[in-house]
Amino acid sequence: MKVLVAVKRVVDANVNIRVKADATGVELSNVKMAMNPFDEIGVEEAVRLKESGTASEVVAVSAGSSACQETLRTALAMGADRAILVNTDMELQPLAVAKILKAIVDRENPKVILLGKQAIDDDSNATGQMLAALLGWSQGTHISKLLVTDNEVEITREIDGGLETLKLTPPSVLTTDLRLNEPRYASLPNIMKAKKKPIDEVIPEELGVDVTPRLTVLKVEEPPKRSAGVKVSSVKELVEKLRDEAGVI
Amino acid sequence: MTACSVPATVIDRIREIVGPGGYIDNSDDLAPYLEERRGRYFGAVPILVRPKTVNQVSNVVSVCAEAGTPIVPQGGNTGLMGGAVPHDTGSEILLSLTRLNCIRDIDPINNTITVEGGCVLSDVQSAAASVNRLFPLSLAAEGSCQIGGNLSTNAGGINVLRYGSARDLALGLEVVLPNGQVWDGLRRLRKDNTGYDLKQLFIGAEGTLGIITAAVLRLFPSPRETQTAFIAVQGIQEACDLLDQMQVRSNGMVDAFELISDTALDLVLTHMPQTANPLTNSHPWYVLTSLSASSQGQALKIALEETLSSAHELGNIHDAVVATSMEQGRALWRLRESIPEAERRDGASIKHDISVPISQIADFMAQAEASIQAEVARVRLVAFGHLGDGNIHFNLACPVGMDANKFLACGDDLNRVVNDIVSSFDGSISAEHGVGRSKRGEIRRHKSEIEMDIMERIKIAVDPNSLMNPGKVV
Ligand SMILES: Cc1cc2nc3c(=O)[nH]c(=O)nc-3n(C[C@H](O)[C@H](O)[C@H](O)COP(=O)(O)OP(=O)(O)OC[C@H]3O[C@@H](n4cnc5c(N)ncnc54)[C@H](O)[C@@H]3O)c2cc1C
Repeated sequence: MKVLVAVKRVVDANVNIRVKADATGVELSNVKMAMNPFDEIGVEEAVRLKESGTASEVVAVSAGSSACQETLRTALAMGADRAILVNTDMELQPLAVAKILKAIVDRENPKVILLGKQAIDDDSNATGQMLAALLGWSQGTHISKLLVTDNEVEITREIDGGLETLKLTPPSVLTTDLRLNEPRYASLPNIMKAKKKPIDEVIPEELGVDVTPRLTVLKVEEPPKRSAGVKVSSVKELVEKLRDEAGVI
Repeated sequence: MTACSVPATVIDRIREIVGPGGYIDNSDDLAPYLEERRGRYFGAVPILVRPKTVNQVSNVVSVCAEAGTPIVPQGGNTGLMGGAVPHDTGSEILLSLTRLNCIRDIDPINNTITVEGGCVLSDVQSAAASVNRLFPLSLAAEGSCQIGGNLSTNAGGINVLRYGSARDLALGLEVVLPNGQVWDGLRRLRKDNTGYDLKQLFIGAEGTLGIITAAVLRLFPSPRETQTAFIAVQGIQEACDLLDQMQVRSNGMVDAFELISDTALDLVLTHMPQTANPLTNSHPWYVLTSLSASSQGQALKIALEETLSSAHELGNIHDAVVATSMEQGRALWRLRESIPEAERRDGASIKHDISVPISQIADFMAQAEASIQAEVARVRLVAFGHLGDGNIHFNLACPVGMDANKFLACGDDLNRVVNDIVSSFDGSISAEHGVGRSKRGEIRRHKSEIEMDIMERIKIAVDPNSLMNPGKVV
């Protein structure tokens, strides 16, 4: 069984994001980048499927500029067998990525494709669902547990007030949630091995995919700054402030 | 406070100088300032003064100088040697700069920041970050300790290897002298060869020569790319070789190079929740290292991976992991940072904060370990620390099954054994945490008469009536 896993290069989750002065987006130059944390969870899960003998091959895919090779090397160092870079400098929106991934799925014929439930840069939470629709496959989103057998995929999702367990008929699109697993560190021997693993490159045109953006960003702004709190000296003062200043009671 | 020997007139004049809100004089509110955080020292004072301006500091000190009332300067009270805790006689006053906490100037072109002595270290780091600069002093107490305290203890922390200790980061000082005079030495210069470098006298003086009310500090470009690795090394000598290679290949970009023994890691894994060994097997010695560069790119990662892979081929390291995100890097650092807390949870321990030349660490460790085992059988050596600075926390944990009090009673003997070996390597018995009250007697055994004599004469020259933090250091 082949498993495909999609990885996106994003600003590292611990970087303080700055909005560009012209409000067209966030500052990306000279900023530390890393693999989208949910995709890291996806790679970990795929590698575990391989280690448990369920998967025979794990293929990592990324779409974006040549810099995404670094992200793919990380996936290879974590244990993916090979990688595919869909190389383009165009801005990629979720629908374009879903189309690219569909084209790769058509070539590779995996039984399962794992994606992050969302990328922490645009937080769209859309690519997995769009891909499932384009492929006509079953989808399990926001999964916190995964069991795969030959002809069945069982997933658990965290929902309000409990856990929901679903059975899917493969092939399936699965998107990962935070608690699915704890991604491993890349070990030195695996980093060295990863340097020898192949990364194939294609361009969207070769896949017959039009990646032209469909959405126009009007403006990106910082959220309003939170003002400092004040200490009140009595319950009476608190009630007065809530009534007269905040207007909430 | 009833039995106090600070004259009431002095207290009244101090209250007048600083006004309401500028002092604390009731025993409930005073309590937290009178105790060392590890509970080893308690003191008593009739008043804690919190001046708001340098002028007020100067006036308070003048009043005390006239009356012969000693002053204990206190910053964040995070110091570990009892230096900021008053004696229990009630004859001293405490002076805290908590309210003297303005950032006076930031000059990104000159790469300096001018701050008041009461600024909390983490606020200075943030102010620097807001103009895309790094203030590199960083230690676990950074949310509480103050610049005045950092300079007075010449604090070290995790970035000394690359940026030096507090002493190396200061360009100028403003100090209120024991007679109340203000010395304005707030120069923002990197070059100034006009005689004795007076600021260096006050740095590391632990409040015994005057009160540091402001400082000019150096800034650096902000790091944009960081790499962190956790490495199982063959031994300490191999770790030192690895550091050398890492510096060469990365062009000196190593920020930190920390040694962790398997006993230290075991304590963390045993006592701290949500921790796991990042490597598959356990090994006798580990190194945690971070490198950073001010431009984003692959160069640092390549340097790190190449250094590690050649060390691996030579058999100098057994295994390693490299963090793929800042989050993973932080998780690795949490292992290192939680060692002191894990030691506390584990029980009784006898601590040493020593340094020897890096090239001698392996020999020192071998000799010291053999000697302490001879002193107390099965004592557990919990060694860790700033290998890149030659500074090891050579801590000893109670042997399994031994009574804690019986073990602690061996403290003086064990200290002596370790410190004598340190001296034989021309090392220091207090590399980072200073002297304060704890090591005042012990330094006399390890410094030459000439050194002690010069120190005492400096103290007398600057503070002839011994009014600044008496009974500490000298
Ligand atoms: C969790 C933890 C981690 C630590 N890690 C490190 C570390 O990695 N490296 C390290 O070097 N230290 C470390 N320390 C020790 C301590 O935090 C530092 O020494 C710190 O610099 C002390 O600053 P402070 O403001 O708390 O000073 P205090 O403890 O209040 O005072 C320390 C000494 O300086 C004097 N002093 C304070 N302010 C002034 C002033 N304005 N003018 C003159 N004298 C003054 C006091 O009288 C006293 O002698 C650590 C402490 C803790 C609790």
